[in-house]
Amino acid sequence: MEVTFNAYRREPGEAEYRRGVYKLDLPEDATIMDGMLKIRDEEDPNFAFRGSCLRGYCGDCMMSINGKNTFACTAKVANFMNRPEIALRPIRMVPVIKDLVFDWDAFMWNKIKVLNPWIEPQESTDGVRTVPDKVMADLRNAMSCYYCGLCDEGCTVLPVDMKFLGPAALTKAYRLAADPRDKNPGEHLKMAQQAEGIWDCVHCYEASEHCPRNIGPTERIVQLRDMAFEKGITNERVARHHTSFAASVKASGWLDEARLAIESEGLTNISGLMKLLPIAARAAIKGKAPIPYLHHKRPGAKRITEIFEKGDERGK
Amino acid sequence: MKYALYTGCVSKGGCPELYPASLMVADRLGIELEELHDVGCTGAGVLPQGLSDPINARTFAKAEAMGMPIMTICSTCQGVMTQANHRLTEDPEYREEINRKYLADEGLEYKGTAEIKHLLWVLFEDIGAEKLQAMVQKPLAGLAVSPFYGCYLRRPPEVMTPPGFEKRATYLDDLIKLMGAEFIDIAGKGKCCGFPVLTANEENSLAMAAKHTGEAKEKGADVMVTPCPLCHLNLDGNQPNAEKQVGKEINLPILHLPQFVGLALGMTPSELGLGKHIVSTKVVNAKVEMLS
Repeated sequence: MEVTFNAYRREPGEAEYRRGVYKLDLPEDATIMDGMLKIRDEEDPNFAFRGSCLRGYCGDCMMSINGKNTFACTAKVANFMNRPEIALRPIRMVPVIKDLVFDWDAFMWNKIKVLNPWIEPQESTDGVRTVPDKVMADLRNAMSCYYCGLCDEGCTVLPVDMKFLGPAALTKAYRLAADPRDKNPGEHLKMAQQAEGIWDCVHCYEASEHCPRNIGPTERIVQLRDMAFEKGITNERVARHHTSFAASVKASGWLDEARLAIESEGLTNISGLMKLLPIAARAAIKGKAPIPYLHHKRPGAKRITEIFEKGDERGK
Repeated sequence: MKYALYTGCVSKGGCPELYPASLMVADRLGIELEELHDVGCTGAGVLPQGLSDPINARTFAKAEAMGMPIMTICSTCQGVMTQANHRLTEDPEYREEINRKYLADEGLEYKGTAEIKHLLWVLFEDIGAEKLQAMVQKPLAGLAVSPFYGCYLRRPPEVMTPPGFEKRATYLDDLIKLMGAEFIDIAGKGKCCGFPVLTANEENSLAMAAKHTGEAKEKGADVMVTPCPLCHLNLDGNQPNAEKQVGKEINLPILHLPQFVGLALGMTPSELGLGKHIVSTKVVNAKVEMLS
């Protein structure tokens, strides 16, 4: 099978990249990785890319193939023949070291490291620390992450803010925070709430859609947020926002948006409140905000209050 | 066709133009609505599942008792309710627990049969593209429109666009063409508008709003249409702040789904509340006027 690879090539430290075009003759069942190895073996020993397990397990060879982000070792060349040339690129928004080799530390590992990715076991007299089956099954699913980085690659937040810890690291945070064997329960939940942590996630479910292992990184972040809601939100702004949100639904059955905006800023935060003024003024001019502003209770609001109260009892 | 209308908070709060526009368009399309009043907020992804699932189960039980599917006019409400309903129907034990602990006191029981549909889904699945097109009185020729789905109407796909309903992922694209407008595709149409992190990280939130509206503008869109009022709050309401942050004028009006349909059905911009938007819809008004 005759095929042309068009690969991203860039030397370390150089700002400009070039395209390496390679005509190859490959067997019908060849993978993209087979083609890349052939280029390196026969045409250009200087062509750099990563690859380790070569069976779709380690995620090392993740790259963009004709715009689709996947593993070169499991991607069949025959499935990418819809264009005259098969385009190989590093995934988006990642610092490139050379050619298709990108900086995994900046992309993911450094973000996992700041979360103290280990647990400190509780003291135990007999050395046995049991975990209920249901909890372990859930943990085992989160532990099956092999850090391929596809969830970070699909993340909506990272393209606008590379400092965001991202779904891969936060899935690790979940795995740690949810482990009942940890000596300091709550520590990892607190770490997950650091700046650029779980509260910066937009829970758009892109991460889960990209995960090849059905771990549900988005759901893991949502679970961490629910845990924080129950055990204490340590981000002040978010705490004010969530407390106000819950209080207005609890009291009236539905959301009081004006109250939420004001209380999220904080009643003593004068500059924050001043910032709301132009927004409120624009809304008033356009007739968006009714004057006077009134927030009525929904019929049956009492029932919603009761649900909150029962929820509180259950949490105790 | 009769539905129990779940309005959500925003269609009567931050986007008060959405509620009346929805009613007008539904009426014109022959969608009968009975509004659910005695129901709570879905939780919008802010309240934990432990609280929002019982509140939503209560809503489902009420609609079930009315014998009608629920219609939503907000992608966030739709997403949260569909996911909650998925948990409640997939796991009867969980549903029973919710019934017992939270609903039984009120004499309610959720049996797991509620159907929850966004207006966009109703348009295609219950009215049908053919009938819809036949009702167009003013094809929006010359109006360049970009779709903006936002997150919750398409993801997670196994719940929102399950087998048999895959076409839901492109309904908005199809609708723009069906209404006779020029379809301007954008890469960010299914991404997040930024609204969910407006409190936690305003800078990121505005960067996302600027990115998507900016992309549509650069590709030549006159206007963007969205089925989600929370997206509208960020893309329209915060567009002036987003422009300030990126130091560039965007000036892209954003229409709610029923407003866009309403224009094609021959309703006027002022009837549909376009005057209430933060970003002026002047360009839309002018183009629609020229069509008559």
